[in-house]
Amino acid sequence: MSVGDDKKAKGWLGSEQRRLLVQEYGIFLAFLILVAVLSVSNEFFLTAGNISNVLLQTSINGVLAIGMTFVILTRGIDLSVGSVVALAGIVSASFVTSSATAGISGAPYPVALGIGIGLLVGIACGAVSGLIVSRFSVPAFVTTLGMLSAARGLTLIYGGGRPVPALTPAFRWIGTGDVFGIPAPVIILAIVFAVSWWILNRTRFGRYIYAVGGNPHAARTSGINITRIQFVVYVISGGLAGFAGMLLSARTGSALPQAGIAYELDAIAAVVIGGTSLSGGVGRVTGTLIGALIIGVMNNGLDLMGIQSYYQQVLKGALIVGAVMLDQKRNYGA
Amino acid sequence: MKRWMIALASATALLTSSAMAQEKIKIGAAPYGLNAEFMQIWAAALQEHPAVKSGEVELTVFDGRYDALVQQDQFKTMVTQKYNAIIFAPIDVDAGAAAVQSASDAGIPVIGSNTRVNSDLLTSYVGSDDTISGYMEAKTVLDKIGCKGNVVILEGPVGQSAQISRLEGNKKALAECPDVKVLEDQTANWSRAEAQTLMENWLTAHPKQINGVIGQNDEMALGAIEAIKAAGLDVKSFAIAGIDGITDALHAVKAGEMTSILQDARAQAQGALDLAIFNAKKGDYKPQSDIWTTYKDMPWNDGKEKIYNVPWTPVTAENVDQLLATRK
Repeated sequence: MSVGDDKKAKGWLGSEQRRLLVQEYGIFLAFLILVAVLSVSNEFFLTAGNISNVLLQTSINGVLAIGMTFVILTRGIDLSVGSVVALAGIVSASFVTSSATAGISGAPYPVALGIGIGLLVGIACGAVSGLIVSRFSVPAFVTTLGMLSAARGLTLIYGGGRPVPALTPAFRWIGTGDVFGIPAPVIILAIVFAVSWWILNRTRFGRYIYAVGGNPHAARTSGINITRIQFVVYVISGGLAGFAGMLLSARTGSALPQAGIAYELDAIAAVVIGGTSLSGGVGRVTGTLIGALIIGVMNNGLDLMGIQSYYQQVLKGALIVGAVMLDQKRNYGA
Repeated sequence: MKRWMIALASATALLTSSAMAQEKIKIGAAPYGLNAEFMQIWAAALQEHPAVKSGEVELTVFDGRYDALVQQDQFKTMVTQKYNAIIFAPIDVDAGAAAVQSASDAGIPVIGSNTRVNSDLLTSYVGSDDTISGYMEAKTVLDKIGCKGNVVILEGPVGQSAQISRLEGNKKALAECPDVKVLEDQTANWSRAEAQTLMENWLTAHPKQINGVIGQNDEMALGAIEAIKAAGLDVKSFAIAGIDGITDALHAVKAGEMTSILQDARAQAQGALDLAIFNAKKGDYKPQSDIWTTYKDMPWNDGKEKIYNVPWTPVTAENVDQLLATRK
């Protein structure tokens, strides 16, 4: 089949090229259209301050969604991230609070220790889920549903159900500081994104993740250690959830036991909108980042226009389903 | 015959002693959920009640887990186990009515506390009127901005009784200041993080226009404060108010960043417990909590009132240290 024949049938691009174009840039185009519409309809949308706000408001969900991408690429799911956000947030906060009563004895400790502890808590939660999924073949949905409940319970036990306030300014910097005007959480999101992109696109481990998600059986027969890959993706997701928990408490200035409820849903939504398939093996972390940005931009834009948050929820729902419909069409239809 | 007498006597003794052991009153408390600070203070206050400490009352607290059905099942448990009285803080105004009905059918008195329920079968209710707090907090904001300028309102989850009543109070105060414009009015679901995001976006949409923030609870007011700080603005140039008097808010009041209206969880809990014991003992009881002497505006009136309104206390620079001392 020559390209010329195809042009006649399908228009200015070959069907294969057009398919690739939609696949590669469809979500990016949707994002640009959304930005364009909001820029025209609200004078404040495209100001430096607001762009910084949107990025800031996207940072926590962005970090969670990137972790979620690793898991979903292997055909898994991590429902526990919202609870891990709360647990890591409150445990790390108890090390860096200047409150005399809410912290552990000797607090505040240096920021690095607090962050290290928070990361460890997240990694530990991820490791437990990863172990159960990979070694004991318990479905990821069930395992992480259990972790969702257990981590929330541990959060309430650890803090006695009370918030941990008065976090030290040094710790709060990761949520409220900036470098040359760029908010610290945005820089952190950029770093997390860059490293994840590199892992998924430039390393053998990344290729194995796609292989395991695409066809576990084939991956196993070609000598890939599936168990190890599955374990590590949950550790990544848990660790990033731990980090997101610290970003959240640093931003709000207080670690709350009710923090992060239903955050897993926004993270999954960003992954799905970004074009990663829930059946594994297909997807890009760039898409996830744009998916998270679309959710952030939409919420921000509707707030600026004074539209009730209930409409935001309806639109988000439509967006999730619409993105997957597009995904189905480009995979099987047209 | 003599042996008979002895047997009878000892049986009587046994019966009386077991009857005496049974005199320990069993009271169940069913709060809607124990995850947030307010209800934790409430539950702790029940345990600190003199009658519980002395062992006169055996108290069990059931965590309703924010689910009307869970609460209904807990009522069934309490009815089956023949509790003498129940203290009830329902998650929902209407869904709680069925639970009250089931206890009432079994002849168990139910005392409402903190949250309301649509039921005539409630023996008494001890709580605070949210329309009053809504009015009080809006008034502090409006007074501070001199009854002119622009405000935003951060609402609770739309449809919840506290949100409805506090908004009613907010509007009553706003009606007294017709020159004040409400720029934005949205729910942040009692959440600090959600309120922070909303306020960040509002500060962008209305640059240098917002003078006051009416937060229907402290959490949301605190979220707004964080957003203002993050935008590099001076918190003290805004009038900000919240409700509840949670510990973080007390610290913010001390720092001069906001005002708060304290809802006395301890008085609501201990007042309800005194009424529960009073009704379980069919009136043969004198209240033991010190709250009845603290609040002269809320007289005991022989336990006969249907509604006991616990007064709200504005948190000020004068009383904040004293309040903080009670939070450990």
